Amino acid sequence: MTVMAPNTPSLAGNAAEAQGGRSNPFLLMPITLFFALLAFAVLRSPNLMTSTGIGAAIIVATPLIMATYALMASVIAGRGTVDLSIGPLIGFINVTLVQLHGAGLLENPIAVFLYAMAAGALYQFLFALIVIYVRVQPIIVSLSGYLALSGINLVILPRPGGMAPPFMAEWGYGTTIFSPILFILLIASAAWLLFTATAFYTHLRLMGSDERAAYTSGVPITTVRIGAHLISGCFAGLAAICFTALISSGDPSQGTTYTLIAVTALVLGGASLAGGRGGVFGSALGAVNLYLITFCLSTFNFGAVQSFVTNLAYGTILVASLLLTLLIPVIQRRIRNFSPLLYFVALSVIVLGVILHATFDYAALGTVGATLPGALDMQAALVGPLEIATLDPATEALRLQAAPLVFGAVVLAVVAVFLRLAIGQSSRNSIGPAVAVILASLVLAGAWLMMREAQTSQTGQPEATASEGDG
Amino acid sequence: MDMLAKLSLPARILGLAIGIVLTVIGIGFGFAQGVSVQIIILAAIATMASFTWAWGFVLGQFAQGESTTADGISPLRRAWMAYRWPLLGLALILLAFIVLSLTVEGFFNIWNIISLIILLVILILTRTLGRQFQLNRSAFIGIMVLAGLFSVGSMNIEGFASGNNIKSMLLFASFLGIASIGQTLVALLGGLDLSIPFVIGAANVGLLYLMGLGVPPWLATLIVLGIGAILGAINGLLSYKLQGQALIVTLGTGFAISGGVQIITSIGSAYSGNVFGTVPAWLSNLSAMNGSTFGLPFPPVIAIWVVIALILILGLRLTVYGRFLYALGVNRTSASRLMISEMRYWVTMYTLSGFFAALTGSLLLGWSGGGFIGVGDQYLFLTLAAVVVGGTSLLGGAGGYGFTVIGVLVLQVLSSFLVGIGLDFKWQQFIFGLLILPMVALYARSPHIRTQI
Repeated sequence: MTVMAPNTPSLAGNAAEAQGGRSNPFLLMPITLFFALLAFAVLRSPNLMTSTGIGAAIIVATPLIMATYALMASVIAGRGTVDLSIGPLIGFINVTLVQLHGAGLLENPIAVFLYAMAAGALYQFLFALIVIYVRVQPIIVSLSGYLALSGINLVILPRPGGMAPPFMAEWGYGTTIFSPILFILLIASAAWLLFTATAFYTHLRLMGSDERAAYTSGVPITTVRIGAHLISGCFAGLAAICFTALISSGDPSQGTTYTLIAVTALVLGGASLAGGRGGVFGSALGAVNLYLITFCLSTFNFGAVQSFVTNLAYGTILVASLLLTLLIPVIQRRIRNFSPLLYFVALSVIVLGVILHATFDYAALGTVGATLPGALDMQAALVGPLEIATLDPATEALRLQAAPLVFGAVVLAVVAVFLRLAIGQSSRNSIGPAVAVILASLVLAGAWLMMREAQTSQTGQPEATASEGDG
Repeated sequence: MDMLAKLSLPARILGLAIGIVLTVIGIGFGFAQGVSVQIIILAAIATMASFTWAWGFVLGQFAQGESTTADGISPLRRAWMAYRWPLLGLALILLAFIVLSLTVEGFFNIWNIISLIILLVILILTRTLGRQFQLNRSAFIGIMVLAGLFSVGSMNIEGFASGNNIKSMLLFASFLGIASIGQTLVALLGGLDLSIPFVIGAANVGLLYLMGLGVPPWLATLIVLGIGAILGAINGLLSYKLQGQALIVTLGTGFAISGGVQIITSIGSAYSGNVFGTVPAWLSNLSAMNGSTFGLPFPPVIAIWVVIALILILGLRLTVYGRFLYALGVNRTSASRLMISEMRYWVTMYTLSGFFAALTGSLLLGWSGGGFIGVGDQYLFLTLAAVVVGGTSLLGGAGGYGFTVIGVLVLQVLSSFLVGIGLDFKWQQFIFGLLILPMVALYARSPHIRTQI
């Protein structure tokens, strides 16, 4: 054991660099987003955190997670291998599985698994061979595959129908957490984590970040690329099985939608589409984030425009999170050693508190339905998105008493932060002060809204009861 | 035998190929005239043998005594090494043809044989003559494929070469062509714009919505085009800032645009996603099948496309802005050393892309007469396919709008051909997918990694 002298700058710097090698700042965004969304979702709909809720979430999210894994394995291989054909491939395995089952083949679960993974792997093997030997850009190969597979899917099964193998029947119910789907997810993740311990994975990452360097240093790039695609194909097979279990039938066009969502999830998870960077943790988080976005939005009742709002949110969050990755070098300059695990644990403690609050306090307070009146009630959407419980008068009174105190505290904190920023940044030629002003005004506006809501609910309560009495 | 050995290998291969083609023609005519099979076989063998011999003999007179002394590798093996892929392809096509004629009743007719011959000639010409056109190889191949497809189509399909069909093909080609302008320009920089279909759909719905609000149609069109350009500029700025993430950035903005426009148009409307209204006569004349341009019986959108295409092709080739665009696409570092503002070009090209996507959406409104957000969906991959089939590299710096025009026409004639022989949408898509790859493989192969070090 050597004791490091903390005030020797060179040693400290070395230590920071040595530790910084293991830290992955690109996980900062997905983790933050995950916990923000999770807290929001739990507050909006506390029954997410029941056995049924988590079970359903796993059933719905797992096909997307597996599709993201499949993309990830080939994206890491570099050359911009964004496999756009992943969605149609899932659809292809789905429809052929259902049709083969309908024809009396593929009764055995083992045969089903083997078939799905082999079909995925075979397709990806062909993909890899074309990329390696025909040397066409991978995105063109994937485009070609997208069109061909989505065409042939409709030929194999013209309209949704058919039956999934009966052993899958109760997989899609999502009544408990410990469904077979969860085990597929865990085994697949564990398999990837085991894989990261091999030299093959190092070769893969080296090839992804710089293929020429890999080639000159003797990495067998052909083998490595084929291997990456085979892994991707196996993940695609698993994704197709989870998808089949979810819809418990065949659907030729539903699978196609997974392409764009999976690419989005992959990027949200902090992977680089240029290759060389990406992991199972980030990808799973990215996919779960997308699921949570849909879930959160579904707790609002937007009526007919629900899917449009979802699209808008997908797009905005995607672009925003991409823009925030621009901040990562800045953050890295400030915080040399970012540990994703520590960050995860710290945030999960906070969110655990929120979950406990939502689970137990709401039960005591009496929950109302998670729907808001009106199709697009702007006021309700802005002011009351967080809490859905109705408060009893005692809590209400307590809250009203606390409101000025909270308001004062927020104002004090904002003023302090703003002063600190303004003074600190005033000498530099940057937009820091302006950002501080905007942020400060936003926070103040929020606090003011809180105040106003408290006042209106104080005055509005008797009116509401009066009108109820009239009616 | 001495004479034959002196012939260079490519010449012998070429002779063999021509011999095969001639023989096939002979067989075709034989069957067409109802001659008995034995005579046909005999005649085929005779044609083949005599032509091969004559080719060797005649060319052998002119052949220089070149040194064919190869160490180790025999000439036959060298020829195989050099020409194995085209030969394999040839064999595959012939095999497919034979299998099809044996299995499908009525497949073996004179038109199909001529089609096969045209296909073979295209293949051979691209492998032989194509080498002469190093620079414009993709354009050459594209034109060959176009000519082949068109002649095969007009022979096999009733009314394929009729004025009406050509007009409708050109009409759809101009929609796709205008939508692909942005994709081409952006691809020249090395980017991608996946927001095009969403902008098309949004412009389509948004234009009708604005007209429904009582905005004068010309003003509404201008507003929609302006918003399209602004969205394009935002795309460009974001894609430039987030280098290498253009694919996902434009996808994200596309989602956001399409969602946002739909929310706006659905507020206070009972039919979400569909907007109803009347399209002014001039707009539907602009892009309807029965439209007229200054009295001439073709829709003005074709003329618009031709004019834009000419401006773009000439502009890219002749003006300094066009040359700078190529410079940026080839090597951004050296381009920035030449004081070319990279950001300005990214923003300009994406702005143009957004503008033309909005224009396509507005024109499609004139064509269909009703707003529908999903109208642009097929353009997501079709614009990419047109750019790629035309021969513009997605890595930037090579290609041009002229190539994309050829790509658009090839795709359009191909899809019209597939419709003509009675294949529905799913089969079309399948065949599209299978054909894009070999078409691109003919000219857009990247060099092996060992040559890049």
